[in-house]
Amino acid sequence: MIFREVEDRDLIAKARRGDVEAYNLLVSRWERRVYSYLVRLVNNREDAMDLSQDVFLKAYQNLGKLDDPARFSSWLFRIAHNEAFSLLRRRRPEGELSEPSYQDKGSALLPMEMSLAVESALKRLSEDQREAVLLKIYQGFKFEEMAEVLGCPVSTVKSRLYSALDLLKTTLAPALLRGELRGES
Amino acid sequence: MSCSNYDWNAYALGEITGAARGEAEAHAASCAACREELAGTRLMLDALSTLREEEPPRRIAFVSDKVFEPRWWEIFRTPSFAGALLIAMAILVHAFARPAVDQKEIQTVVARAVADVQANYQKQLLADYEEYQKQERLNYMKNARLVRQ
Repeated sequence: MIFREVEDRDLIAKARRGDVEAYNLLVSRWERRVYSYLVRLVNNREDAMDLSQDVFLKAYQNLGKLDDPARFSSWLFRIAHNEAFSLLRRRRPEGELSEPSYQDKGSALLPMEMSLAVESALKRLSEDQREAVLLKIYQGFKFEEMAEVLGCPVSTVKSRLYSALDLLKTTLAPALLRGELRGES
Repeated sequence: MSCSNYDWNAYALGEITGAARGEAEAHAASCAACREELAGTRLMLDALSTLREEEPPRRIAFVSDKVFEPRWWEIFRTPSFAGALLIAMAILVHAFARPAVDQKEIQTVVARAVADVQANYQKQLLADYEEYQKQERLNYMKNARLVRQ
């Protein structure tokens, strides 16, 4: 656990009383994680940035509805999940989801070959599977917290995650066999 | 216990703790197939961990957003509003606390002032007229002396 001079719950309490600076500090603590989750889920940087803004705005507006400040992270990611899937649903008729534009944006985000292989493999997953991996592997949520974020039973969470891990194992097998991971780690 | 009872994904993800974890480890020590499955899962998780966290292209800040503007009732708490309110109250108190003015008294004072102004004006007019006459007399005497010479 990372020691923090001021705990999130203190910042939440201050923000609820209208302390903008406290909320901005809270945002600065969480923006990277939320953005990172969103950018990999929606596969577009600008959309992820806009969604991040919306997520933190909605979180501020609804901070009074957060019953337990200790559950802030899963509550925040629940908002992010809703925002992301709202966007993904709007995109669907245009058929953008089958070919994510993330890689096409050009910038060499991840120079290491294994990272690129992982990035590519993640894109092959369905949205639900990818989200399960993002929440578990990259955000470190427990199964129960993931169930809260996704609004589904733990069994569904595990099913999505395990099927995603099976697919990733298959997709990443060639890269893993070439020993690229060992060379980089 | 058969191999199918062990959830190696959950184990590798840290979801299995306590006695169940110890039991799973004991089984893996004696089962090559499970060891291989666990190794494969760990290798894949290590690969996933190479992906860096994404950095937002710009900071998310809300200071200037509308939602952070003070609510209407919060305006009353600002120093400038308090100062303006204090001045307004002082004016009101002064207006109501001042004794009522008698209209007859005002008329008397005004009439007296008008009379004073008129008296002063007449006095000045008289003094100017006397000065004028005095100058006229002097001029006449001066002219008469010049004629005699």
